[in-house]
Amino acid sequence: MRETIETLSNNKELISPGISACVGCNVELTLRTVMRVLGPNTIIAIPPGCMGGVGVVGWNKKSGANVPVFFPLLDNTASMLAGIKAYYKKIGRDINVVAFAGDGASVDCGFQSLSGAAERNDNIIYICYDNEGYMNTGYQRSASTTRGAWTSTTPVSKEKVGGKKQHKKDFPMIMAMHDIPYMATASPAYIPDLVNKVKKAMEVKEGLAYIHVLNPCLTGWGIKPNESIEVSRLSVQTRFFPLYEVVNGDFKLTVDIKKPKPVEQYINKIKKFSHLSKDDIEEIQNYVDKKWNKLKMSCVEGGRNDEQ
Amino acid sequence: MPKTDVINGNKAAAVAVSLVEPDVIAAYPITPQSSIVEYLTQFVINNDIDSYMSEVESEHSAMSVLTGASLSGGRTFTATASQGLSLMYEPYFRASTLRLPVVMAVTNREMISPQTVWGGPQDSLSVRDAGWLQIYVEDNQEILDTIIQAYRIAEDKKVLLPINVCFDGFYLTHMTEKVEIPDKQDIDRFLPEYNPEHIILDSEKPMAVDPLTSGYLLMEYREKHLKAQQEALKLIEEVDSLYEGITGRSYGGLVENYKCDDADYVIVTMGSMTGACREAVDHKRNEGLKVGLLKIRALRPFPKQKVMEIISGKKAFGVVDRNVSFGWDTGIIYQEVKSALYDSKCYMPSVPFIGGLGGEDITIEHFEDAIVKIHEAYQNENNPQTVWLKN
Repeated sequence: MRETIETLSNNKELISPGISACVGCNVELTLRTVMRVLGPNTIIAIPPGCMGGVGVVGWNKKSGANVPVFFPLLDNTASMLAGIKAYYKKIGRDINVVAFAGDGASVDCGFQSLSGAAERNDNIIYICYDNEGYMNTGYQRSASTTRGAWTSTTPVSKEKVGGKKQHKKDFPMIMAMHDIPYMATASPAYIPDLVNKVKKAMEVKEGLAYIHVLNPCLTGWGIKPNESIEVSRLSVQTRFFPLYEVVNGDFKLTVDIKKPKPVEQYINKIKKFSHLSKDDIEEIQNYVDKKWNKLKMSCVEGGRNDEQ
Repeated sequence: MPKTDVINGNKAAAVAVSLVEPDVIAAYPITPQSSIVEYLTQFVINNDIDSYMSEVESEHSAMSVLTGASLSGGRTFTATASQGLSLMYEPYFRASTLRLPVVMAVTNREMISPQTVWGGPQDSLSVRDAGWLQIYVEDNQEILDTIIQAYRIAEDKKVLLPINVCFDGFYLTHMTEKVEIPDKQDIDRFLPEYNPEHIILDSEKPMAVDPLTSGYLLMEYREKHLKAQQEALKLIEEVDSLYEGITGRSYGGLVENYKCDDADYVIVTMGSMTGACREAVDHKRNEGLKVGLLKIRALRPFPKQKVMEIISGKKAFGVVDRNVSFGWDTGIIYQEVKSALYDSKCYMPSVPFIGGLGGEDITIEHFEDAIVKIHEAYQNENNPQTVWLKN
């Protein structure tokens, strides 16, 4: 904890003040935190999505960051970064080459280039801020949207029928199965854990480091701004979004949840689930339990217990 | 001392790249380009060249890797064809609008359907308005020489645009010819270092690349991009002469004028078909018909002035297209040539020809028949419908 505070207070803020993210946005918090850890020797890619939309790459002649920053295409973030890294590797300069990309740009159309870069051991840091859909274009569904959720493309009828029919793609596990040197999940409610994981990603000098952050979207999901962090924390405490890391193939929970809260407590805070029946919620609970048990079986040791 | 070798077109392209030694190469195999990737990976593993090779998972990523490498200041190369070029379209367009001097060989191959793998420039012609420079070449020596020249043209501060060197699949990619290979020292002298100042991703010089941009600024970008294409008209000719000074070989720059000066009729070609057409022109001249040949090398920028100078005042002309322009009922080059002639204020009959699609041969006899059709168009004072050169 002390180390985290020192890192965050000693390092410079690298994201411009006054970017236009929604009130209480925890993606902005995540980005500012991540950039403080990465430091100025960094090139960052922000593909189209919320963080591009709010001006991190800039607007007209003004930059939104104090480091080189650019828009890749929605679907080529990893391969553009691979090219940047290839050139710097060739001229012998060590530099953090980093993606800060939404779930659409990562788990959907950007997946091919990300999977390719992971397989080729391209030495980039890829951070996915997962807000479960195309929030910047008006809350459309993605493969990362939770089952049952209302989105503007999985609407709900007056009879409360609708919402997304499929479960969320388990993307952290998919990335772990690429046998990359480092894979981790993270949450804006667990900042020291996030800071540690970014530091570990920076230590990787051969191969790809991937961090998947679950960022509940206040505007798109229907969450009160003052509950931004609380809902994020509930996603972890209900085991809906386990915090773990995979270092060279070894799984480890970084935050163990010995006594989970019911998933219902997380779901009840979020308007996009307000139409769900008891059965729907039970289905999600069963899915969460099954996933957790599978993950536990893969883990070599448990993490810090987090009971509240 | 330059060496002489007997090699196919893909080897000629790979050897040209080895003389330039780009920082980063990324490519994905596709018929008929694959052996370029194979030769280059072999050169890298043999330590013949000091380039970083990325064996990407798609053409989309090939162009994306190069976009990243070029944005960091690196010199780059890739090659593709047909469906690969189509898949690449998204980052392809953007390499030009980011003004990155990427060099890419296109081993021209037909677009499906029906399923095909054989030659034809429908692929690169379909993306002719994506802002790249495009040069179409005729033989293996011209492939090698033009790829080397392409770096000098693309990286010039007045131009700063990506460039395609296009050559017909199989006719050139897989056919062997005698090729003279220049000395590396000569090429090193010919090619200055690439030092980008206009755009760079470097933590020591932080820059926001492509922030959200208003229309009034985007218009400035496009206007400058169009002007850069026009600057390339001069540069392609200058670089051709400069290169001639080193190797003794010139290709005429934007176009090649073969016996057009005193001709009554002109037949226009592009790419590997030109050799057969030269023969046909000589045969017809022996029979007393004064015909000349205009070979288009630069398609983008289009050499409007040159085309006007050479064709205006003639009795009639025709264009042989190995491609189609859907909606015009002709080939693409025919429309381009006609469009260039509008400003010459001199009208003459013309004949559009289409042949050689899907790798079909365009024979000397086809060209002789075409020349006769052009002559008849003058005599009959009409513009016939597209003539299909079928076997």
